[in-house]
Amino acid sequence: MNIVMGLILGAWAYYCVYDMLGPTFVMSFRPLLAGFGAGILVGDIQTGMQVGATLELMGLGVYTYGGATIPDYTVGAILGTYFGKTHGFETGLALAIPAALLLTQVDILNRFLNFIFAHRADRYAAEGDVKGFERMMVLFSHVIWGLSRGLPVFLAVAFGEGLVKAVSAFFEANPWFNKGLSVTGGILPALGFGMLLKIMPVEKYPAFLLLGFVLYAYLKIPLVGIALAAIAVALIYQQLKYRAKEA
Amino acid sequence: MAGAKLTRADLMSAFWRHLFMIQCGWNYERMQNCGYCYMMLPILKKTRPDPEDFKEAFQTNLNFFNTNPFVGGPLIFGAHIALEEAGASLETTEGLKVGLMGPLAGVGDTLLWALYNSIIFSIGSVMALQGNILGPILTWLLVLIPYFAVRYWQFFWSYRQGANMIAQLGSGAIGRLTEAATLVGLIVVGGFAPSIVSLKTPLKWVRDVTIRGETVTQTISIQENLDAIMPYLLPVLVTGLAYYLLKKGWNPVRVIVVLLVIGFLGGALGIFG
Repeated sequence: MNIVMGLILGAWAYYCVYDMLGPTFVMSFRPLLAGFGAGILVGDIQTGMQVGATLELMGLGVYTYGGATIPDYTVGAILGTYFGKTHGFETGLALAIPAALLLTQVDILNRFLNFIFAHRADRYAAEGDVKGFERMMVLFSHVIWGLSRGLPVFLAVAFGEGLVKAVSAFFEANPWFNKGLSVTGGILPALGFGMLLKIMPVEKYPAFLLLGFVLYAYLKIPLVGIALAAIAVALIYQQLKYRAKEA
Repeated sequence: MAGAKLTRADLMSAFWRHLFMIQCGWNYERMQNCGYCYMMLPILKKTRPDPEDFKEAFQTNLNFFNTNPFVGGPLIFGAHIALEEAGASLETTEGLKVGLMGPLAGVGDTLLWALYNSIIFSIGSVMALQGNILGPILTWLLVLIPYFAVRYWQFFWSYRQGANMIAQLGSGAIGRLTEAATLVGLIVVGGFAPSIVSLKTPLKWVRDVTIRGETVTQTISIQENLDAIMPYLLPVLVTGLAYYLLKKGWNPVRVIVVLLVIGFLGGALGIFG
């Protein structure tokens, strides 16, 4: 049974990766949707949503800008949902974070190993072998990436039960551990915002960042309201800035 | 040499290839090169009937390429195909790719990751945490439809514009759009960060004071005092720390380790919670 579920969830992890590389019909590399999908597959949608949404908020804004390696919340959400179903949400989440961090090493390895495709492609191009190149693309170009996530998920689900039981017992015996994890969960989103701020010209336009903070922290405006206000402010700023040129 | 006229089927073939495979084979060495070349092959087969000429184009299109494949990327693909159809040289088309991939990646990353995804995924997550199944479904629909539409539209718009597109980019319209998106993004992030990052301290300062000869025990909550200075002071500080470390060139995984140590020790020891 564990092996069957391992295959199913491993296949879901594979699809989540492929979805990111290509079609993005689901964007299931985001933990909210990876967890939701895993919840449907294991038959516990509520746990999938809780684990996925919690990890999503921790990882908000964390994307692979320019191909940087980031914590793998996708795999975290899938494993967290599966183990959360039987051992409870807290244990699921507590396993998801270390799993996400461990998988970063696998990500680096996988992105490195993919050089095989670039070099084979060179060979096909030199021979003008379109068929060969297309076969490689369709059949193999996603395999290293997909297996780098699918295989760990399969192994953890199929054979990880004993380990997870021990971990779960440890959590119950040591409440301080959970307190540490829950505080950590609260501050992990700082990474996502730090990454967003790094790609944005904060130093050029600090006033706009400050304005957003004031709207939320002091005026308590909900986020969609802030987004609408932000659009208004940007339009006003541009109207004033470009008025001279357009008149 | 004037290239052959492309049919609708050729264009659709390239479009589907980009949609399904653009980042497959992504590698540190040349990033999206394999997917890019795979997308261009149906076009190159038409525009370059001479085998040697075709082979050269095949090889050239395996050069380094990386951009945001959703916003910005499809503009490059469409314009490249139009140039190819018009019989442009490989130098010209490589120049287009290399010249636009960096700036357009910046636009795409800001618009999609900082702005659009932050909004749809945080709303969906908050609904999911309340147990509402519509949260993830809504987020999924807001991925499925717009992400497809925006790629389709850019791809064919920029193909029709062709060489014109580069003039359009130069006219400043894209620059203004980027600026507006950046400003909206900054305001939204300014509000999002304190709403999502949470850090509080339960520490209290207890002291005995003597008021008119009576001893009274006063308890002062550190958190209340911090809130009086500025609400969300601790979340702002920890976000600032993450930004500072990333700005110094730390990679995200190292920053996470720092956050883990602060959060875990702080929580376990009862300093935060």
